[in-house]
Amino acid sequence: MNKKESQSSGEEKDIKNWFEWTVFGLSLILVLAILGYLGYKVYHHSETPPEIVVQVWPSPSENTPNRYQVQVENKGGTSAEEVRVQVSIRRGGQELEKAELHIAFVPQESKREGWVVFEKPASQTDSVVARVISFEKP
Amino acid sequence: MTEERKKQEAGSNSRPLRQSLKEYARGITGGLLFSFPLLYTMEVWWAGFIASPFRLLILVLVTYQLLLGYNRYAGMHPSVSWRSVMVDSVEEMGIGLVLSFCVLFVLNRIQLHEMALAEVMGKVIVEAMAVSIGVSIGTAQLGDEEDEEEDDELEREKEPLRFGMVVLATCGAIVIGGNVAPTEEVLMLAVEAQPYHVLLMAVLSLLLSVVVVYFSDFKGATGRRSGNLAFELTLDTCITYLIALAVSAAALWFFGRFSGVSFWVAFSQIIVLGVLSSLGASAGRLLIK
Repeated sequence: MNKKESQSSGEEKDIKNWFEWTVFGLSLILVLAILGYLGYKVYHHSETPPEIVVQVWPSPSENTPNRYQVQVENKGGTSAEEVRVQVSIRRGGQELEKAELHIAFVPQESKREGWVVFEKPASQTDSVVARVISFEKP
Repeated sequence: MTEERKKQEAGSNSRPLRQSLKEYARGITGGLLFSFPLLYTMEVWWAGFIASPFRLLILVLVTYQLLLGYNRYAGMHPSVSWRSVMVDSVEEMGIGLVLSFCVLFVLNRIQLHEMALAEVMGKVIVEAMAVSIGVSIGTAQLGDEEDEEEDDELEREKEPLRFGMVVLATCGAIVIGGNVAPTEEVLMLAVEAQPYHVLLMAVLSLLLSVVVVYFSDFKGATGRRSGNLAFELTLDTCITYLIALAVSAAALWFFGRFSGVSFWVAFSQIIVLGVLSSLGASAGRLLIK
């Protein structure tokens, strides 16, 4: 086979069937959508520091009646690493007991959940307070 | 390939469905084969939400360039036009995105309800870029025996191009070095190494490159290169190692390994990763060409 023939057979092989064009079309839409999304994000991106909001509520179970569920949400524009949350139960303004929760990563605009367990029963407490002690920039 | 089949194919003027399915299957196999280590690495998932949109955009564009280069110089139909290479690269990226999404979903790394779109997209995009390079290599490498005879002519056509070699070396360095670049171990090795360790690593990388380049590219291929052997060998080794270092630096930068470290730590990290990338650039280049 000489060079010309080889090239022309290469071109023939190059002609795609309907299935390949479908795959290409879908891929193109996908890739363009991703580029569009990233372009939009780059344009509107603001490097705001992590903005972490903590919510806590009782979540007793049979074996751990004094368990509380903690939800940590990062409303900022960057991720937070090594987030430490302190939860304390109080009675009449007095702190009865405190517990700590470590979360490896809380990405931007995302939620993470965890649980803390106290020794003192929920009946002895009148309020529960949660706050973020510290976090790192990844 | 028999004459009859060739005629049939030429008659229908397009590839039969069976063949394209086979090619996609190869691509998917290759994509998973080369990128599973990364799909199972937590630092890569983290990179998905730590990396800024700008970095992700650069990653997508650079990967597309690499796919173009790889498909042009080693891809499934090396004789075809740039237009066709661009079409194939888009396809590979699309397959990469879908595969990456599916695997991450199965591994429970993305949860559509609890996670923000930014986190899901970040993870999928970072992993998809590795998968799409794998798809490209898989499509080109896990091929039929029958295609290889036809490619002899093309191989000869491709050989003199030093630029092609640079592209393949870059892909090789990324495929081999990219598996390790996101891990913490690179930083640990770099921080704990004494300066003479770093020097030894650089020497080791160069030695590996020389051995691989000499025994694979030059031995038995004497007719191809007429120039001075020592000169060619030195030039090839230098180019290979520089490519490996550049790829290492780019990968480390993407994974944020340079933020807040001294020049020496950054430099050591590049050399540490360079040991792998240089092997990838020299040996990997031969495996995937």
